[in-house]
Amino acid sequence: MVKMILIAIGAPLVAFAIGLSFMMIKRKIVARIQRRYGPTIIQPIYDVLKLLVKEDNISHGVIFSLGPIIAIAGSILAVFFIPMAGFSMLTGSGDLIALLYIMAIGSLGMALGAGDSANPNASIGISRALTLMFGYDLPLVIIVISVALQYHTTNLSDIVAAQANGNWTLWTLPLSAIVGFVVTYGALGEHPFDIVTAPHEVATGPMVEYGGKHLGFLMISHAFHIYIEIALFVDLFLGGASNILIFYLKMFAVFFIMIMFDEVLPRFKIDDAVRFYWKWPTVVALISLIIVLVK
Amino acid sequence: MERMTEEQVKTIANMLRKRSLWMIHYCTGCGAMELPPTMTSRYDMERFGLAPYVTSRQADILLITGYLNVKTLRRVITVYEQMLDPKYVIGFGSCALNGGVYWDSYAVIKQLDRYIPADLYIAGCMPRPEAIISAFRHLMELIDSGKADGYKRYKRNLAYYKENQRKVLG
Amino acid sequence: MNMSLELLLATPFIGGLLTYIGGKVHRWVRNIFAVLFSLLTLGEMSLFYNTTFKGDVWGSLFGSKLILQTNPITWLFLLIVTSISLLVIVFSVDDMKHEEDHIVLDSYYMQLLFVEGAMIGIVLAGDLITFFMFWEIMSWTSYFLIVHGGKKSMDAGYKYIIMSIIGAYAMFVAIAMIYSKAHSLVYPDVALVLSQSSPTFTIWIIILLGVGFFVKAAVMPLHTWLPDAHSEAPSPVSPLLSGVLIKMGAYGLFIIFYGLMSANLAKNIMPSIFSTPVLLYIVQWLAALSIVLATFLAIMQEDAKRLLAYSSISQIGYVVLGLATGTSLGVAGGLFHALNHAIFKSLLFLAVGAVIYRTGTRNLSDLGGLVKKMPFTFVALVVGIIALAGVPPLNGFVSKWMIYEALLQKKEVFLLIMAFVGSTGAFLYVYRLVHSIFLGQLSQKHENVKDVPILMQIPMWVLVIATVIYGIFPGLAMDVIVKGMKMFGFAPIAYNLYGFPQGSTMGALKVINIASVLMISFVVAWIFFLLFSKSRKVSQYDNYAAGQVVTPELKYNYSFGFYMSFGRVIKPIFKISIERIYNYWVDAAKIFGDYYMRRVYTGNLETYNSYIVIVVTIAAAAVLLGGKIW
Repeated sequence: MVKMILIAIGAPLVAFAIGLSFMMIKRKIVARIQRRYGPTIIQPIYDVLKLLVKEDNISHGVIFSLGPIIAIAGSILAVFFIPMAGFSMLTGSGDLIALLYIMAIGSLGMALGAGDSANPNASIGISRALTLMFGYDLPLVIIVISVALQYHTTNLSDIVAAQANGNWTLWTLPLSAIVGFVVTYGALGEHPFDIVTAPHEVATGPMVEYGGKHLGFLMISHAFHIYIEIALFVDLFLGGASNILIFYLKMFAVFFIMIMFDEVLPRFKIDDAVRFYWKWPTVVALISLIIVLVK
Repeated sequence: MERMTEEQVKTIANMLRKRSLWMIHYCTGCGAMELPPTMTSRYDMERFGLAPYVTSRQADILLITGYLNVKTLRRVITVYEQMLDPKYVIGFGSCALNGGVYWDSYAVIKQLDRYIPADLYIAGCMPRPEAIISAFRHLMELIDSGKADGYKRYKRNLAYYKENQRKVLG
Repeated sequence: MNMSLELLLATPFIGGLLTYIGGKVHRWVRNIFAVLFSLLTLGEMSLFYNTTFKGDVWGSLFGSKLILQTNPITWLFLLIVTSISLLVIVFSVDDMKHEEDHIVLDSYYMQLLFVEGAMIGIVLAGDLITFFMFWEIMSWTSYFLIVHGGKKSMDAGYKYIIMSIIGAYAMFVAIAMIYSKAHSLVYPDVALVLSQSSPTFTIWIIILLGVGFFVKAAVMPLHTWLPDAHSEAPSPVSPLLSGVLIKMGAYGLFIIFYGLMSANLAKNIMPSIFSTPVLLYIVQWLAALSIVLATFLAIMQEDAKRLLAYSSISQIGYVVLGLATGTSLGVAGGLFHALNHAIFKSLLFLAVGAVIYRTGTRNLSDLGGLVKKMPFTFVALVVGIIALAGVPPLNGFVSKWMIYEALLQKKEVFLLIMAFVGSTGAFLYVYRLVHSIFLGQLSQKHENVKDVPILMQIPMWVLVIATVIYGIFPGLAMDVIVKGMKMFGFAPIAYNLYGFPQGSTMGALKVINIASVLMISFVVAWIFFLLFSKSRKVSQYDNYAAGQVVTPELKYNYSFGFYMSFGRVIKPIFKISIERIYNYWVDAAKIFGDYYMRRVYTGNLETYNSYIVIVVTIAAAAVLLGGKIW
């Protein structure tokens, strides 16, 4: 029982720490790619804390304030459903299909909050976010189905267990893994899919009116978000891990490769992003699905 | 855990604030030209935790980059009032100090801190990136010692500032 | 003989008549009568709830017995019908107050009760004649209800009734064909005849009956009446149409697939694809197409009720898709989704109706920012959209999840993908709905809007509670569904009060864990949030506009063409319009009619007189010679 409670408290904290560490590393790596010295490694911590201790905060209404809170609550919920290095709190309460919807709770909560800010930039941002989500959801669903059919189960713990001994999905279904990697870009809003927050077009989109502690909360939820998306990829394709260190290393490898591509890519137009996702990733994912079906 | 005094909280908060200064992307005049080199690889102001941010709600520093005409003043005031406390203003270049080459123009604000409280001025036309970075360093020191209190002055002397603003804006 | 079913069936009809007469006395007598009688029907329903009545003969026609009967599935649909009708009538009391003409209102309440009675009759029917009779009463009374909605609703109602008549004809032909073979239309006899006749006959029967149900359930390509009818109908009628009436089509499909035609029969007379009989497989594809295409159409709508109407087509697609899978889990999911859709779609239509009641417009780009003025309606709408989008822990999620699992078990991956796409698309249009009405900038003309009166709030609250309860405790509904499906020969599925245990081929689901962990993390995050300095409330005009001052005169809102960029992506799909194809045929029929029918209907009295003479002569000859017309 005590162990249960410890895991319940510990899992979100570890997830947050991993997500935050990726945010730190990202800024440093991006700076090095751009031939800059870059900020101190713990700069994101300063940023978040500074936002939280702002003396003045504004709110456009109850829903506006609830947005970041729901974003964090939804993220914490999703963390429990993703097996993390042997700990899998709630995988028995909802499977992969349920997880796809659980992952949407936080974003939808934030969308509600941003909508309440009465700013058209926020509305456009959310319109883009949902459109993009619709875009990458099609290939995502196809690869999730292929993985589920491959292992005859939709339980994530079982999927991880089935990949033991290096028998990763990455080797058995390489095409799905590639699509999954491309989908993760969209899910994280990295280049070339940073259409949602595009600062030069829609003034950071949904976050336009958020400042102070609200923005701090959104940054915290972004840390969770990074963790969730990459941990899911690792669990689905890289066989999860039995040990938190190996898990972290696998996640780091994925994230590192992501940033390497991310930083040199331009930005899609929103309709082109959807067209892109519905073209090549979908076709490749379907080929992979048919391979699984025939096998 | 022992309770921290208000003083200690303030010290920690100031320490955090000086390490993470977000600057609003708002360019009033030609001085803004000097910011791209300051941001990019050559001088890289992100080293100090400085980053450009887009909206007034997110930013901490308002840079008045160069001359400020009456038409822009209204926007500057809106932006300044929308920013969240604590917020800092830097007058950039000699135009913000005394009008610079536009000292006799009818449409240019001659002295910035009659309208919004400036915490710091950077002299020069234009100030080089080195000067800008040195100004930021100086601002950090001011924040650390609690002397960068422009936003408090604005609240305290609101009537004075509003009166001056009304005079030029009508 | 037990009279209880007759009583249940008669109550709304008698109540309707009394309501009409009561309206002549005073409008409050009418209102109280309407509420009272629908309450009475609900009371009777709950009194008999979950008892099985077998073959209650209430008359006979053409030598075929007319039978009322029940089974657990019946009770599920009766629960939907009676409770939603009651809520709709309660909602109508205030919503229809603006109607000046008392005669119109009297007949309005009468028709509401008649529709309720007709739907109870359909569900209770134990033979095809009773079924068809009440089916037609339902079609006609709902037509009259639709045309209450003003000028445009006339056209919409016309379209609805034309398509209903086509469906009814198809059904009638099927019934006549069965009758010519069986001389009895009681369900078991019909099932017997179908299993003994030639496969061609059986397939024709199923197709003909199916057309009738497809029209009512608005499955593509027979959906074109729905967006017009559901959006033009008065606001309290739309929930009844969208929530309940189209479920009758689903119920009919359930009856022909699993009541009249046993699963083995279907497998014996036709080939199977993915272990689904080919006819059911086609139905599945049609349902999946409705899901996706209707979702796309809903995303592009600018009218709140039209958006919901298209979403109804898409959601009924899930119901039909689930019903047509043929596995226990899929059928249970389809039936459960019918219940859930009835709950949340009625809730959404009532919430939108409340907004229309206060603002007088349902054009999404005219609204905005109403959350500060109508908070209760906002909460109702948000609960409804979360359920509709299928996000846990509300009810739409569980039933959709069951349908997904069923499709995954059968490896029908393409249908599964389409179902998923429809569900993600639902995020888009539901967000559009809540954003354009309640979020964004409050328009100046809506400064003085208040929340709706308490009588309109109560139905919404009841539905909100039902949404949450059925979401967290799906076992409550599964009790009835599984018990009922056992009677139709389905294997029972493992379930418990909170969800489903881990099966060999399906994942586990425990909604209560999802809900409680979400709640706990929400509270934790909230407490953490409150630790920091308090927020200052700012007006909507104190807003980032790159330094520009936002004034009330300036419309600073993004609402029109919310998904315009997405529209550009799916534009090629919209080049094909089913409605245009129908209109082409309508035009062709018109030309044909104008040209050829004028030869028959000359407008000349003498021609008509001669027709009458000819018909009377033939009829007389038939009576004299044969003695029988039938």
